[in-house]
Amino acid sequence: MNKRILIVDDSFYMRTMLKNMLTDAGYEVVGEAANGAQALEMATSTSPDLITLDVILPDNTGLDVLKSLRQIQPSAKVVMCSAVGQEVIVTEAIENGALAYIVKPFSEEKVLEIVGAALQNDAAEPAV
Amino acid sequence: MKTRDQEYRELFMAEALEYYDSMSRHLSELERNPNAGPALNELFRLMHNLKANARAMGFTDLGEVAHHLETLFGLIRDQERTFSGPLIRVVFAGVDALGNMIRAVGANQPLPDASALLDNLDRLVRGEAPVLDEVDEGDTEEESNRKMELSDLVYIQVKKLDNLLNLVGELVIDRDRIMTLAQEIGNPALLATAQHLFRISDDLQYSVMDARLVGVGVLLNKFPRVVRDVATAENKEVELTLSGQDVQIDRNILQIITDALLHLVRNAVSHGLETTEQRQAAGKSAIGHLTLSALTERDDVLIQVQDDGRGINTEAVRRKAVERGLITAAAAGSLNEQDVWALLFEPGFSMADKVTDISGRGVGLDVVKLALDSLGGQLRVESELGIGTTFTLVLPTSIAVKGALLIEVDERPYALPLMHTDTVLSLEPSQISVVGGVLVTHVQGLAVPLVPLRLLLHDEGDDVLPLASKSELDGPQQVLVVNYNNRRLGLVVDRFIRQQNIVIKPLSKPLDTIDLFGGVTLLGSGQVCLVLDVPALTRLFLAKRP
Repeated sequence: MNKRILIVDDSFYMRTMLKNMLTDAGYEVVGEAANGAQALEMATSTSPDLITLDVILPDNTGLDVLKSLRQIQPSAKVVMCSAVGQEVIVTEAIENGALAYIVKPFSEEKVLEIVGAALQNDAAEPAV
Repeated sequence: MKTRDQEYRELFMAEALEYYDSMSRHLSELERNPNAGPALNELFRLMHNLKANARAMGFTDLGEVAHHLETLFGLIRDQERTFSGPLIRVVFAGVDALGNMIRAVGANQPLPDASALLDNLDRLVRGEAPVLDEVDEGDTEEESNRKMELSDLVYIQVKKLDNLLNLVGELVIDRDRIMTLAQEIGNPALLATAQHLFRISDDLQYSVMDARLVGVGVLLNKFPRVVRDVATAENKEVELTLSGQDVQIDRNILQIITDALLHLVRNAVSHGLETTEQRQAAGKSAIGHLTLSALTERDDVLIQVQDDGRGINTEAVRRKAVERGLITAAAAGSLNEQDVWALLFEPGFSMADKVTDISGRGVGLDVVKLALDSLGGQLRVESELGIGTTFTLVLPTSIAVKGALLIEVDERPYALPLMHTDTVLSLEPSQISVVGGVLVTHVQGLAVPLVPLRLLLHDEGDDVLPLASKSELDGPQQVLVVNYNNRRLGLVVDRFIRQQNIVIKPLSKPLDTIDLFGGVTLLGSGQVCLVLDVPALTRLFLAKRP
């Protein structure tokens, strides 16, 4: 069965790009959340295998969302997604259970490589 | 033609203009209240997003200005800088520069130079004083020249468009009734108004249908990746050619056929095309060719999956169908090539002896037929052994309004979607023969079975249809030849009424279980008219023929 992915990003442009890359590669994008509240709601209703999480979100920071996600969907793997400049938050995110970090702007190869590795890797070994 | 790059560019522009408007709003708030936390957070987030999106699009300078402003707002938020003094002027200039750059991107012009601004932003980040022009008057002039701009693009949920389309459907039905009434009453003023209403609602209907159209490329452009993956897994070399990406089709139709197309393409790579060795042995080019194309034919959109592979082995399909118990050996023997190929799309049919990862996942090509049936579409198959196979999906451009032929049986009107009608014939009894208890005529050299539509509509129970005899035929017979899955069937009707565009409404409970009827439509006279489902009629005839 295709792995199911939830995309969390407040930019429609970014979500569309990520979604295209992931669906082209055969993943099933089960939802697109534009803020933290939506992210938590969709994570509960869709039980995705993996969540790509933007670091900066309008209602709360990606870090708070990550902590809540780890509680409500511990089985979902989380990959952080952010432009440069937010390395401090990312380090903290990885300490809080995120598996990897995708740097924006990202290339298709890089995204697929990181997502593929995160989905295979059961051990929480961060890849950047 | 809208490529993915163009789509990204439009999305980028729409969002960038939205960000720019929000930035200006939050800046004004910050000017009134320099410690407004939410405004600072928002500015920081907007700059961050604009930076990431601009860099992804390759607009380095735009990304650079946004990056500097993001850093600056981060510092203000962390109370390392205050929103005061010369900083305010530089920040405003920065946001103005972003606006100009975004507009330049939209107008396809080179981005204005931002080196002086970047230099000042750098100084502010480092904690130094910016270098400002002494002349202030320029600012006021620029202020009055500034244009207000809203994005040209609106995002809309498909759900809202669906609702709009339903409403237009209702309107069109009422319009036709008013038109009929106006003609009956014969008042010239009423007639003129009704005609005006007719034209306007026609325009409205096409505008709404038009708003739902997308380029087929939205779907086709996803296939290079699929083909590459399947080809790699099957160890084959495949060259994919796409064409007709700009052919327009209703977004929901595209959605419905996505899985069907995916199946056909996977099937073509994994079964249609041979391995490199087999191709070379057969004297063909080592690389297999697959073409995915879209084209328009009258009101329909055709999507073709064409390969230059081994072609369908008709005898092997015949054998497999008997093995799988889909058909008796005797019946299989009497099927022509097209009929045998149609078996490929029967539920439970598979040519695979073993299940590979790519094809044969337990779902067969019958999903193709199901998707097409639900749309009132058709499937055409052409194949030549050793040369290749072409599958053609014949799709309506829009789901709302369908061309239909109105016919009458026992003084009741019925509608048949034009999608499934082949020809209309008026046959003398001498042109009809009886073969095995079934009426048969010849159309363009091919035998076509005939059945009175009345018999199918009144059919009950499990009994086979009564044996036909020529003595029942009294005078010329009105025959409508329908085509489903390459199978032709002549329906004998009382008379043809006319051709008309109809809006099909689904049947409500408990009638929705009668599968002979695809829905119901209202005629201009207000009369209810059942829409016949050609696939169901064909299946019923095949099951019940004597």
